[in-house]
Amino acid sequence: MIESNFKNIKSLKEVDRVRVVLVGNPNSGKSSLFNSLTGLNQRVGNFPGVTVEKRAGSFRVNKNLKAEVIDLPGTYSLSPRSEDEQVTFDYLSDKSRNDLAEITVVIADASNLKRNMLLASQLIDLEIPVILVLNMMDIVQRNKQSIDIKGIEKELGIPVVPMTARLGKGVDVLKERIGNFEYNLPKKFVEDHESKDGLENTVHRFEKIKKLVDKNLSGEKQTRTAKVTRRIDNILIHPVWGYLIFLFILFLMFQAIFSWSNLPMDWIENGFLVFGQWLGEVLPQGVLSDLIVDGVLAGLGGIIIFIPQITLLFAFIAILEDTGYLARVSYLTDALLKRFGLNGRSIIPLLGGAACAVPAIMSARTISNKKERLLTIFVTPLISCSARIPVYTLLIALIIPAEKQLWSFNLQGIVMMGLYLLGFIAAIATSFAMKYWVKSDERSHFIMELPIYRKPRWKNVGFTIYNKVKLFLVEAGRIIIAISIVLWVLSSYGPGDQMAAIDKKYEQVEDFEGKSTQIATEKLEVSYAGHLGKAIEPAIKPLGFDWKIGIAIVTSFAAREVFVGTMATLYSVGDDEKTLSIKEKMEKARNPTTGEKVYTKATGYSLLIFYAFALQCMATVAIVVKETGGWKWPLIQLLYMGLLAYVSSFIVFQFFS
Amino acid sequence: MLDQYKSGDSLVLEEVLDPQLSIQLYCMGFLPGETIRIEKIAPFGDPFIISVEDSFVSIRRADAKKIKVKLLSI
Repeated sequence: MIESNFKNIKSLKEVDRVRVVLVGNPNSGKSSLFNSLTGLNQRVGNFPGVTVEKRAGSFRVNKNLKAEVIDLPGTYSLSPRSEDEQVTFDYLSDKSRNDLAEITVVIADASNLKRNMLLASQLIDLEIPVILVLNMMDIVQRNKQSIDIKGIEKELGIPVVPMTARLGKGVDVLKERIGNFEYNLPKKFVEDHESKDGLENTVHRFEKIKKLVDKNLSGEKQTRTAKVTRRIDNILIHPVWGYLIFLFILFLMFQAIFSWSNLPMDWIENGFLVFGQWLGEVLPQGVLSDLIVDGVLAGLGGIIIFIPQITLLFAFIAILEDTGYLARVSYLTDALLKRFGLNGRSIIPLLGGAACAVPAIMSARTISNKKERLLTIFVTPLISCSARIPVYTLLIALIIPAEKQLWSFNLQGIVMMGLYLLGFIAAIATSFAMKYWVKSDERSHFIMELPIYRKPRWKNVGFTIYNKVKLFLVEAGRIIIAISIVLWVLSSYGPGDQMAAIDKKYEQVEDFEGKSTQIATEKLEVSYAGHLGKAIEPAIKPLGFDWKIGIAIVTSFAAREVFVGTMATLYSVGDDEKTLSIKEKMEKARNPTTGEKVYTKATGYSLLIFYAFALQCMATVAIVVKETGGWKWPLIQLLYMGLLAYVSSFIVFQFFS
Repeated sequence: MLDQYKSGDSLVLEEVLDPQLSIQLYCMGFLPGETIRIEKIAPFGDPFIISVEDSFVSIRRADAKKIKVKLLSI
């Protein structure tokens, strides 16, 4: 109503702030518009109570008026069918929010006008202030069609703005129209008395829309873009080539991620080494300097190093999604995934899980069937995520020489691929078993739009990568700094006077080579961390892990990549020159009683398997609690994955030793 | 029913026999009286891609069984 949304203000000239709500069908170019309006003034958060991604931002409409923007999840209509769409519906129908004047901007794909007008017409009938944006006018032109903007404006009684959001065309006009907005209640598109239930209403609505569109859209019927899309589909979703192409793209993706990221990763690693050395020299000697260099910096370096890989993975997924290819992958895989109790839409969470399980689990919201969604959420963390990359990279480098080959392929690369494959197999096998265990009488559908192909909108891709990497860095970075500090304290201090006793013991001993390392190792053993690790050693000994690994397993429950940070911190204590990388330090590690290498092949493979399967991620547990609305499923998941990891590691260790 | 036809067939949508399915399809532009086309059928007969004008949508065979259509007479 006027009262609730405009607070008795007739014109926006009387206020200095306004809220702009963006709504539209999926694939209508809503994100492009949001990005051109806000630029980097945007933040990603959650809607209260649910975990649907909420993007908000701000921009200046004119010199007197500032706008905050909310980007609602895409929806075809106001009859919600997934929880994503429910959020949009709830937000729009909430009339109690009246803190700010509010304008709803509905974005319609003008090249598919009829279908896109449904939502717009429903919004008009909610009697809220609406501006209609007709996006993708470039495609309309290319299809040799034209739209009578003024005609539609007159018939609907609301402002209509033509736009090509991809190229930023029309955005200024939209701002102008928002600035000059005056609310006059337009007449209803479909009167309430004209139809009874939702179905009849929709049919009736479309009859009217058809008339409207036929009157205002002229030009060719058979469109070029659809023809092009059909032609591309003939290849990309060909019954044979389609699958081969998909596998090839996957292969290329992972090859690129691992080979392109080598160089920047080296830079980051060396950069941190140099920086740490320099910092150690300039800072006054003492506890604080040790804490910063050995604790915080070592831990932080361990996570920043794999930003190149994460960025690349997010980039590939964003590009595949933006071009329209990802929807085809769902089509190609539905028949297969259906057999395992999943859905074609599950492929997006499963692929995304290779980057990070948290956003991947959130993207499972588009699966409307509850059972399929639960299964997808349950198995997604088994897919090897980017947080496992540093763990895998470190361990593989440690146990397999770089030059070792198998059938002229690099063995390190093969083991890495194998771990990803293992994760995927575990995921679908688990889902298959759960299919029979979780009961549901809800019918399963796979109704999914396949958007026309288009060139990636690089700006969108860029923003997606930026937001995801930022979120990851902030979330993971926070945990890692905290844990690094705790760890450093735990490994630098110990109960009683055991530490002092070691100092005393060595005071009388003459200097010998490796004396300081010897002292540090003995001290670590009697530190709090050492005691903690020793306490769990009996439980993990059958897997081939010693107490230092025990500490790392405990701390990396926060997040897997903490394993590397922990190793860095644990092995930094005592490396006075700070010239060795973690890998070199771990290579040198010897069992103090037997003098054998700690990281043997058996221990290495066992650890790899452990990290492939165990749910070592607080963030994932937290998101599953939110998504499934309780602790039941995350606890089952935690237990199941832990057990799977323990048993598999045990078998692997026994096999290799 | 839709599942009886083959890839490339142009059909007139008559009725969707499942209320939940019908509202979803209607909202995507698949309405009674519209001319729809079977664009593709995946290997082993599932799922389908159907189109109305320039909208492409994939549905499963199980759902296609509930969509009443007739062949477009030219």
